[in-house]
Amino acid sequence: MSGATGTNPATGTAGTTEARASVPMVDAVSVSKSFGSNEVLKSITLRVQRGEVMCVIGPSGSGKSTFLRCINHLESVDAGRLYVDGDLIGYRQKGDRLYELKASEAAQQRRDIGMVFQHFNLFPHMTALENVIEAPIRVNGMSKQAAVARGTELLARVGLGQQASHYPSQLSGGQQQRVAIARALAMDPKLMLFDEPTSALDPELVGDVLDVMRELATSGMTMVVVTHEMGFAREVGDSLVFMDGGVIVEAGTPRDVLGNPQHERTKAFLSKVL
Amino acid sequence: MSDPVPPGSTASGSSPTGATPTGAAPVERAETIKAVKLRHPWRLTIAVVLIVLLVLFVLDAAQRKAFGWEYVGKYLFDIRISQAALITLELTVYSMIIGIILGLVLAIMRLSPNPVLKAVAWLYLWVFRGTPVYVQLVFWGLITLIYNSIVIGIPFVHTWDTIAITWVPPLFFISVVGLSLNEAAYMAEIVRAGLLSVDPGQEEAAKALGMSWWQTMRRIVIPQSMRIIIPPTGNEVISMLKTTTLVAAVPFTLDLFGRARDISAETFTPIPLLIVASIWYLFFTSILMIGQYFLEKRFSRGTDRGRPVVGVGVDIEPPVAGGTGGLR
Ligand SMILES: Nc1ncnc2c1ncn2[C@@H]1O[C@H](COP(=O)(O)OP(=O)(O)O)[C@@H](O)[C@H]1O
Ligand SMILES: [Mg+2]
Repeated sequence: MSGATGTNPATGTAGTTEARASVPMVDAVSVSKSFGSNEVLKSITLRVQRGEVMCVIGPSGSGKSTFLRCINHLESVDAGRLYVDGDLIGYRQKGDRLYELKASEAAQQRRDIGMVFQHFNLFPHMTALENVIEAPIRVNGMSKQAAVARGTELLARVGLGQQASHYPSQLSGGQQQRVAIARALAMDPKLMLFDEPTSALDPELVGDVLDVMRELATSGMTMVVVTHEMGFAREVGDSLVFMDGGVIVEAGTPRDVLGNPQHERTKAFLSKVL
Repeated sequence: MSDPVPPGSTASGSSPTGATPTGAAPVERAETIKAVKLRHPWRLTIAVVLIVLLVLFVLDAAQRKAFGWEYVGKYLFDIRISQAALITLELTVYSMIIGIILGLVLAIMRLSPNPVLKAVAWLYLWVFRGTPVYVQLVFWGLITLIYNSIVIGIPFVHTWDTIAITWVPPLFFISVVGLSLNEAAYMAEIVRAGLLSVDPGQEEAAKALGMSWWQTMRRIVIPQSMRIIIPPTGNEVISMLKTTTLVAAVPFTLDLFGRARDISAETFTPIPLLIVASIWYLFFTSILMIGQYFLEKRFSRGTDRGRPVVGVGVDIEPPVAGGTGGLR
């Protein structure tokens, strides 16, 4: 919906003053993350509202993937707090103490957050349909019959109704990525994270994947999309964040950031990709 | 892709076949090359010499008394020998099954996030890979001398009761224990290599779907590691079949080699019986090798099937220098 809260991530509290009825879907408060002495995220503060599509751009190594992985607790945060739908990710807070979540509790949190990877990471020993129904059956305890029905429906939704029994190796990159999206959707996530979903694709295959993502955005899914598809960001994104060197350099509506960048670094970056 | 391809060529979208200058279009196919094949006279010469030597050896062996061919014929299908062959097979199969299961457990322990499990597995491998299997088998044979009672009480402080262990495990049982515990250490390394060969992205994807560590292992990682694990496991089976001869250290003597020696001690015909045993071993290993050939064919077929075909170094991101601080 509104990218308003994304416009001023530096203060981070811009959104709260508006006292929205609903908590934001993603609420990152001064999130920092280091690998050894390499500080990859430096006090990232941002919010993603329900139904919002936030695109994240930035040069290689700027920490975009790491940030997504933190939201999904594939990496743990060193400092700051990260909430998804009001739940603190990775920890339980009692008083002013934090307790690490058990592996099963962390897995529980991840269920509701779908993730799509640059290299698809489909399970190569399973067919497209098996890829999609695996987690609903194993994790959610869904019956095989129900999972197959839902999986078939999802594959049709991403335009792969005919390829349900194909193995990933028999599918093009674009088809594989759409299976991966269906696989994530099968868990009925409330939030979808995309890490450069089209970067590994041949140019002519990008469009199909973006179409699926566009449709998903239209259906009201909350999405955080790391991408270099500026056309997609401009057209589908509600907000756009430019990251560099582990900080958010600039954020706002795609039209503002792309059309009228304020910072030199943003300008330099955009001049190279646009 | 943001690579410096000449602007016109991207339109087709097909893979960049850079090195095809489309100058004058070739009209006719050039003449097929007809050349005199390179000859290898030395290969032929050496092969002939070797065949001659082999024939001489066989002819010589056939009439050499010491080989005692009539005894070979007599004992090759002797009921005691074929029973012993069966026992050797049983030793192999049981030891491998237990070895594989325990090896899998050890490998998973080593890769698990739990440091206690890791340490236990490491210690196990250290001991069992670091000592000869022959010595281990002698040890297991002596186990009833080492541990002959159960003491109930506080260790080193007070004893309430001592229960003598009267059960004497059968030597076959001890042999299987000795062989399989040793095998487990080697299988653990094979399985570990297999598990590590699976793309970490697989584990990540499973985790992101909310699957537990164990679900991820069982459903995603282990099935994919089989391609790597199965061929060397075939080797281990063949190797185990031959290692069973070492159960003499326990001492267990009902296996093929033990039986052959026992019979020859009665009949004073050691050489024919060695030949008999060797023929049986060769027969079994040949079957296993054929099986392994097919297994390897089956499992190497998937080498490029296993992973989504992705340009390895495809980095789409614009070529902004890694540390972009200097851009300002
Ligand atoms: N698991 C890791 N261990 C150590 N360093 C890492 C790890 N993951 C990422 N990094 C480092 O963090 C930085 C940011 O990486 P990443 O988040 O992947 O950037 P981006 O996705 O924007 O290209 C890079 O310098 C990278 O080398
Ligand atoms: Mg990345």
